Amino acid sequence: MAIDERLLKSVIAEVLKEMNAASAAKAEEVFVSEGMTITEIGDAPKGTNPNEVVLGLAPAFGASQTTNIVGIPHADIVKEVMAGLEEEGVACRIVKVYRTSDVSFIAHDAAELSGSGIGIGIQSKGTTVIHQKDLPPLSNLELFPQCPLIDLETYRAIGKNAARYAKGESPNPVPVRNDQMARPKFQALSAVLHIKETEHADRDKAPKALKVEFK
Amino acid sequence: MKLVAGVDIGNSSTETAVARIDGKHVKFLSSGITDTTGIKGTKQNIHGVFKSLKQALDKLGLDISDLDEVRVNEAAPVIGDVAMETITETIITESTMIGHNPNTPGGIGIGVGISCMIDRIQEVEEGSDVIVVIPSRISFEAAAKLINQYNKIVKITGAIVQRDDGVLINNRLEHKIPIVDEVGMIDKVPLGMLTAVEVAPVGGVVEVLSNPYGIATLFKLSAEDTKQVVPIARALIGNRSAVVIKTPEGDVKERRIPAGSIEIIGAKKKVIVGVDEGASKMMEAVNSVDVIEDIKGEPGTNAGGMLEKVRQVMSSLTNQHPKDIKIQDLLAVDTFNPQQVKGGIANEFSMESAVGIAAMVKADRLQMEMIAEELTDRLKIPVYVGGVEADMAIKGALTTPGTDIPLAIVDMGAGSTDASIINKEGEVKLVHLAGAGNMVTLLIQSELGLEDFNTAEEIKKYPLAKVESMFHIRHEDGTVQFFEQPLDPNVFAKVVLVKNGGELIPIEGFDSMDKIKMVRTNAKRKVFVTNAIRSLAKVSPTGNVRDIEYVVLVGGSALDFEVPTLVTDALSQYNIVAGRGNIRGCEGPRNAVATGLAMSCALTNQ
Repeated sequence: MAIDERLLKSVIAEVLKEMNAASAAKAEEVFVSEGMTITEIGDAPKGTNPNEVVLGLAPAFGASQTTNIVGIPHADIVKEVMAGLEEEGVACRIVKVYRTSDVSFIAHDAAELSGSGIGIGIQSKGTTVIHQKDLPPLSNLELFPQCPLIDLETYRAIGKNAARYAKGESPNPVPVRNDQMARPKFQALSAVLHIKETEHADRDKAPKALKVEFK
Repeated sequence: MKLVAGVDIGNSSTETAVARIDGKHVKFLSSGITDTTGIKGTKQNIHGVFKSLKQALDKLGLDISDLDEVRVNEAAPVIGDVAMETITETIITESTMIGHNPNTPGGIGIGVGISCMIDRIQEVEEGSDVIVVIPSRISFEAAAKLINQYNKIVKITGAIVQRDDGVLINNRLEHKIPIVDEVGMIDKVPLGMLTAVEVAPVGGVVEVLSNPYGIATLFKLSAEDTKQVVPIARALIGNRSAVVIKTPEGDVKERRIPAGSIEIIGAKKKVIVGVDEGASKMMEAVNSVDVIEDIKGEPGTNAGGMLEKVRQVMSSLTNQHPKDIKIQDLLAVDTFNPQQVKGGIANEFSMESAVGIAAMVKADRLQMEMIAEELTDRLKIPVYVGGVEADMAIKGALTTPGTDIPLAIVDMGAGSTDASIINKEGEVKLVHLAGAGNMVTLLIQSELGLEDFNTAEEIKKYPLAKVESMFHIRHEDGTVQFFEQPLDPNVFAKVVLVKNGGELIPIEGFDSMDKIKMVRTNAKRKVFVTNAIRSLAKVSPTGNVRDIEYVVLVGGSALDFEVPTLVTDALSQYNIVAGRGNIRGCEGPRNAVATGLAMSCALTNQ
């Protein structure tokens, strides 16, 4: 069969039409929480801007869960991290990672999407990791494991440090508080929140780009 | 045929050379090196001697009992100590923030106005120029909103912010203004005063406030007042942002701290010099005295305390009365020391001038005989204290291929720099000078503001690199090295030290690689180049460095990756052939004294 240019074009047009129809079929998901509206705007593309840090949110973040383990609203957390990045003059792109609820992998996925190679991952309960794309997923640049002890000031500092890594600087790690009682006090709650988050994980779903609006 | 060992107990390492002697013929078999245990010249050294001997003998599959004779060095009874004395301080009386240079100020340009708390703007006269002061309780969003709102009533020309919000506020403003942030103690900013705020573009520095006439123009100062603001302008040079506030009695002063004086006593004259006059004046005084008999510090001052401490240590080592211990050399070096500015409102630091001092004490003898006796007891073989250290060192150094008498050696250790010279007749002349490796470490520690001595010691020893990605680093000479496996996340984006095995050690802090490299190299130059020339001048038969032809560098600091090149380079200007020794053609600059000791066995046995 001879394939002429016109036939080829029509085939491509047909395929494109089908693809568009498929993506349009996926309704834009909108999550409204106190102080913040999150809208999914399709698959998250791989960034090329070397002056950006990607913030990866866990599956339930700002959706079925709206505050962290000690009741800090997710809206305030995102706002502070973004403020930290902005103060250093670095752009912020927010994505939602669906395939896992493990904060290390969320941060690593974000880092892989980031033009600078630096990503931040935040779980709904508040646990946070700063990651770099070339590191093994279970390694990290900075880990903030005791989520009940992370306050808004620390989230700001996390944003600042991630921005400084993106700029090729070598910031001092963000100082974190330590409390032996945090583990026994919050372990059960933390486990429940993590299980709830994992229920929303979808192994086959690609990371989604998000539009975040604050009220 | 005899199996002998020479053992050299040094300030920081104990070295051994094992040799077989057959009549006049000496054949070296192996060598050993360990850290010196305890302070040189004390009984604690014995453990180190054992370890070092065992190390050398194990290589041969022999035991200590196989030895026929051991010689230890007649250690030069020299001990050095170092101290630091800050001699200037900066005091501000509420007129400016000097030394405060936040990483991310906001906006750009220069603004002048009356300082005013942001929630009190309504009290200001309509239409006047205002610099707003924003404490931490007001968020960046609220602050930006207030500024936008009030800008219609008064003219807001700049802002001083407590939190790190400069860029955030600026991004939300309709009219851009210069913003200085991270001002810790914002409640100390005087209100209702004429204030100027300047922020330079990224990569730039303030131009108006670092110029006395610039300040005079903004504040309409008289010629007399302009004179008063010179220290302020000077302190702001090189900053990206600055604030100057005009208060009736505001002032910045650089004050010289009385640091005490030292007295150099020679055979013929006595010289007194103040530590606060700086290193060059002190060295002039030291050099003006031909043969130094003793150096004393003014009692009750830091200089005095430091010199007394050295005296005390030496007296307890030698069981001599402190009065009989004489300090015979001193090396002073100008340096810097970051100090918090007194009266500052943003925790500012200023690099203050300081003087680093190394002192050297010489006593009659150390208790080497005692060590030898104890060793004889334990080893069950004869242990002798052999030859003067300098003779032995020269004998060892002469095993370096390409050397011959007359020859001078410079032994650069940790505590002292020693020079000796042997002439054609075989006569040896020697001098011990204060200042060596430990002094370099002290200078690095103070100029980089490091907290512990060990970090400074590591910076001294290893070259630097910058980790540029997970897979490559850039060495300090600009070459790039790639890695197959990703590097440890601890070192990401950091300035690192490259250890001998290729291990990377991150350095915490904000100093750039170039700055650290400059501080390190300058410290080495200030101590070792100065001392190499000083010591050679003292042993030179004519008193002139140029009359020495060949110099071999030995000692632990000659192992350093850049000290020998710095010294070789400096000495080449005097037409001197200088280079790192290579004892027995295989040991490098190490083991000179131990080798000399083992050789001396052969000579005395004849």
